[in-house]
Amino acid sequence: MDDELAEQASPASKLPIIAVMVALIGLADSVYLTVQHLTAAPVPCSIISGCETVLTSAYADMAGVPTAAFGAAAYFAAFSLALLAAFGNRAAWMLFGVLSIGMAAFTLWLLYLQGFVIGAFCQFCLISALTTFVLFGIAMLSKFWRRVVSPSFHF
Amino acid sequence: MKNEPQKGSGLPMIIIGVVLIAAVAGAYFLYNSSQTPANRNTAAGNKNSNRTVNSAAAPLGANPPNMLGSPTASVTVEEFADFQCPACSAVHPTMKEIQSTYGNRIRFIFRNFPLAIPQHDKAYEAAVASEAVRMQDSTKFWDFQNKLYENQQAWSANPNYRQIWEGYVRDAGLDVEKFKADMAGSAAKKRVDEDIQRGRGLGVDSTPTLFVNGKNIPMDAINVANLRQVIDAEIQNAIKTQPAANSAPASNSAANSNAAK
Repeated sequence: MDDELAEQASPASKLPIIAVMVALIGLADSVYLTVQHLTAAPVPCSIISGCETVLTSAYADMAGVPTAAFGAAAYFAAFSLALLAAFGNRAAWMLFGVLSIGMAAFTLWLLYLQGFVIGAFCQFCLISALTTFVLFGIAMLSKFWRRVVSPSFHF
Repeated sequence: MKNEPQKGSGLPMIIIGVVLIAAVAGAYFLYNSSQTPANRNTAAGNKNSNRTVNSAAAPLGANPPNMLGSPTASVTVEEFADFQCPACSAVHPTMKEIQSTYGNRIRFIFRNFPLAIPQHDKAYEAAVASEAVRMQDSTKFWDFQNKLYENQQAWSANPNYRQIWEGYVRDAGLDVEKFKADMAGSAAKKRVDEDIQRGRGLGVDSTPTLFVNGKNIPMDAINVANLRQVIDAEIQNAIKTQPAANSAPASNSAANSNAAK
């Protein structure tokens, strides 16, 4: 589906389409993390610790809501906005940019927690960090690389 | 499809809706598939419980151990745990249920096994604190353990954790000054170190690690239903090999395994 759209889209609208796909990866990842957090029978603490330390840490939920669920909501919003932008909605693309800045800032905080407070990283959390930074990068590219930007004038 | 992507067409909304439904359905599917661990756990339990350790070769650990139940019971459940470990806190209710279900039909031994990892910076001290409590009143050890597990998040990340623990000691009606002195002394530390030595001797490298009559029960098999199955089987074994032993557990275990299903 995405390929079909990408094929016929002009280069100008490539960025939102890439953003749509990256946001989908982020969405799937954070849905997985949310479910993992809710159902995971806690995994033992080991001399070699890992993901479970992060997902069972005091920071794994905020006010009872899994942190990953906020991620899922953010990725869904990012996906929706990028998709609307791909179909020519420029206001959505602007909102996407703002959202991606917020997501990147929050991701930096989560990376700080993993690195310096919890002392362990979590693979799927790092994938999420990566997708967020890619989304942020797309937004910045779009903002500062004018010619490639301005998605979807052709529609 | 070619001409559909038009401004104002419903296509984006349809795609968004489809993705939303897919995300929710995916979450629901994942949730359900990880919610049916019963069979898998039992299988894991049976498979892994073949790994029996040679307890005789390992150091004995703190003596007398922190024990509940009967010292002469045919089944020994031995747990190695770390008070700062979230997984240990998570299995704690299961341990308590097993203790109350079986009472004097088992011998439940708790071993301090604080892991020397950065996230568990207060684990060793917590273990020493539990032994310091025991030095005043061995039954209060279990109350203190409850407090540590139930409030794990509160003290784990709190620089004033010592005051928090002293609060537990005070609430238990124990002497806080003696507790502080015992924590600083060597007797409590010695007991913790002896438990750690035993754990290492048995090859323990993570917490919680649970042995039922020397058989290792993997973490994903630590649940009430599976433990009852394993313990009942051990009780049955003991009865078979020692027909003269009391016969009461036989009927109980039958009832238990039914209840477990």
